[in-house]
Amino acid sequence: MSELYTRPAYPIREDLAAAHSRAWAHIALPGTWWDGAVRVAIAAETRQALGCALCRERKVALSPSAVAGHHDSLGQLPEIVVEVVHRVRTDPSRLGERWYRGVIVNGLTEGEYVEIVSVVAHVATVDTMARGLGLEALPLPDPQPGSPSHHRPQGAKRGGAWVPWVEPADASAAEGRIYPVDRPPANIMKAMSLVPDEVRSFFDLVTHQYLPGAAMRDFAHEYRAITHAQIELLAARVSALNRCLY
Amino acid sequence: MLLRASGSTHNKTYQLATVTGAAEGDGGVPSGDLLIAFAEAVLGEDDRALTPARAALMAALGPPGLVDAAAVVGLFNAIDRVADATGIPLEPEKAAASADFRADLDLDRFSVAARD
Repeated sequence: MSELYTRPAYPIREDLAAAHSRAWAHIALPGTWWDGAVRVAIAAETRQALGCALCRERKVALSPSAVAGHHDSLGQLPEIVVEVVHRVRTDPSRLGERWYRGVIVNGLTEGEYVEIVSVVAHVATVDTMARGLGLEALPLPDPQPGSPSHHRPQGAKRGGAWVPWVEPADASAAEGRIYPVDRPPANIMKAMSLVPDEVRSFFDLVTHQYLPGAAMRDFAHEYRAITHAQIELLAARVSALNRCLY
Repeated sequence: MLLRASGSTHNKTYQLATVTGAAEGDGGVPSGDLLIAFAEAVLGEDDRALTPARAALMAALGPPGLVDAAAVVGLFNAIDRVADATGIPLEPEKAAASADFRADLDLDRFSVAARD
C-alpha cells in the first residue's frame, strides 16, 4: 500500500495508490513553466477555491462576469493565477474563449495556463475520489527545489482548441512519447500537449482511476470491480452534472 | 457514447436519458440507480446525502466496487475541467456517432462552441 494511504477505510488498489503517489510527487517537482513551490501553491489554491465566496456568488449568477470582486485566496499567487484556478475548479462549464483570451492578454502565457489547468485537474481527481470514499484529503506534498524547464514543443500550433496543441505528426523527440502508438490520440489527450509532462502525468491517473487506453473499448473483458457499463454510466452522469459535452 | 457501445457489445440497450436526469431508474445498468445517486452526492455539497449513497453502493458492489466508482467519479470530475478549460471540440467521428442522442437529450447546449 502506498505511503499516502496508510490505513484507508477501503481497499484502495495498489496501482491506484501508487498512481496517486506519483501524481503528488509530480505536483511537487518543478514543472515546465512553474517551480515546485508555485505548483504546490496552485494545488492548495485549488482546495481553497471550494470555499470562495466570490465563486459561490458567481456560480448562481446568470453570468459569472456580472459579479465583480476578489477571490478568497491564500495570498500566495498572482491574482490572474488565482482567477484561473478558482474558475476552473468551481465553474468550468461557463468558461468561454473570450475569458481565456483575456487571461492570456492579462499576463499568463499559454504554457503557464495549461500547466495551471493540469495541476487543478490532478488535485480535483484525487480529492474528488477521497470525498467519494469519505477520506480526509491527502496532505499536499512539500515543494521540491529546481527550475522550470521552459520547454515549449516546437510543433505546437493552433488546432481545434483554444490552446495550441501538438498533433502526433508534429511531436518531436524533445517532447518524449506523449501519445499512444496504436491509435490516434483523443482531443482530451491533445488538450494539454503544449506541456507534454502534464499529459504524461495526468494520463497516468486516467489509466489507474479509469482504464488503460486499450481497455477502454475492450467491452468483452472487465478490468475493474465495476463493469464497463457501470463505469461509463458514472462517467456520463458526472459529465452531465458538470455540463460538459466532451 | 462508450455506454452505448458497451451495450451494443452485449446486446443491451441502456436508457441514456438517465445520464441527464431526464429519466429515473437504473437505465438498464446493474445498480445504475445507486451509481447515479452516488455520483450526484459526490459532486454535491450535502454530506448527509453522500453518506447513505456511499453506504448503499458499498452494500451493492462491495468495497472494491465502491473504490472503483469513486475513482471514476474523481477522474471525470477532472477530465471535464481539462476539456472545458482548453476548449477542445468533440472529434468528428465522436460527433457523428453521438449526433442522435445529443439531439435527443439536448446535449449540444453544453458545447464549448456555444459559450461566449
